Amino acid sequence: MTMLGQYRARDSILHRLPAGAKLIGLVVVIVAVVVPPPTWWGLGAGAVVVIAGYLVGRLGLAELWRQILAVRWLIVFIVVVPLIFLPIPTVLATAARVVIVLLLAAIVTLTTRTTEILDAVERALRPLRRFGVNPDRIGLMLALTIRTVPVIAGLAGELRDAQRARTGRLSVKAFVVPLLVQSLRHADDTADALAARGVE
Amino acid sequence: MKTTLNDITRIATFAAIIAVLGIPGAVSPFGMAVPITLQTLGVMLAGAILGWWRGAASVLVLLVLTAAGLPLLSGGRGGIGVFFVPSSGYLIGWVLGAAVVGVIVHAGATRPVWWRVALGTVVGGMLAIYAVGIPVMAAMLGLSLGEATIANFAFVPGDAIKAALTVALTMAVWKAYPRAFVTPRQPRVEPTPVSVR
Repeated sequence: MTMLGQYRARDSILHRLPAGAKLIGLVVVIVAVVVPPPTWWGLGAGAVVVIAGYLVGRLGLAELWRQILAVRWLIVFIVVVPLIFLPIPTVLATAARVVIVLLLAAIVTLTTRTTEILDAVERALRPLRRFGVNPDRIGLMLALTIRTVPVIAGLAGELRDAQRARTGRLSVKAFVVPLLVQSLRHADDTADALAARGVE
Repeated sequence: MKTTLNDITRIATFAAIIAVLGIPGAVSPFGMAVPITLQTLGVMLAGAILGWWRGAASVLVLLVLTAAGLPLLSGGRGGIGVFFVPSSGYLIGWVLGAAVVGVIVHAGATRPVWWRVALGTVVGGMLAIYAVGIPVMAAMLGLSLGEATIANFAFVPGDAIKAALTVALTMAVWKAYPRAFVTPRQPRVEPTPVSVR
């Protein structure tokens, strides 16, 4: 499993904007797209904003197309399922809104490093300190999780191989139980290791 | 709530487990819209094994990292966009679901009992998640609550299987590694040493 985010390194205004500002901006734009009742003019304006965003962020229209392809099955779903209950124009307008919102959100994900967003989260949590929330511990928890995913993925791979070698087939129970036990043991070992190094 | 190092590492580990359960060949009849994966199994297990707040916290950690752009959801999905699709309500529902499973399995208990795990996975792992997922899907697709509930029935069989699996898995983990269920506030219960650590 690749642990790389979807960040695309470019030099643009959108890349240089602080993560917090981009997230707030995203919420504002999404509210502007979602709250007013859908009109073809409104949807057209949304599409223009999306295209402008990909150009200003120097992501290019090829990236925009890649993002649309990535959600092609979602588009099928949000068109087909409501068609059972609703008329075609309503369904298409709703689907178009969902896709516009998704493509806008993708701009933020493509132009912002994972670490920048996590730092913004930690900063946003700082005022909660007086309510007993410790942002440093939450930061530790997030960093630990990022480090633990490849460890657990490695355990899962070994278990699957071992099972295949013994029985030639896979059973969920014979796979998940040892995965849980080994993972939780790893968690307790990590806690001991942190304690041994003076983390409280 | 004072968190111990064991709490933190278990929360982080379970978040990672839920992520890893999304890797092996996720079954997605509707593509990425509302995929059926083992990840909800992980959510139910988080509540059943870790208890309500650690279970909910591990789901929350997973969602924060996903929002930050890491591809931790089934099918390698990630980024802020996953919170703006018709299935997003189910993701938010995971947090509530894990908490409800945890309350039902752990409240006033010193060890997991199979029927409480079964009740917990149905009420928390299914109904609580639907209670958040269905209204969001209805709002985003312009459906009525009744229509969205009908669409939701596509997930009931898979979720029922996962709920049953959670019961078997939880009881098996209790036998193999009872320490997993013990919170620092309770006395350590270790009936038989399973292996030399």
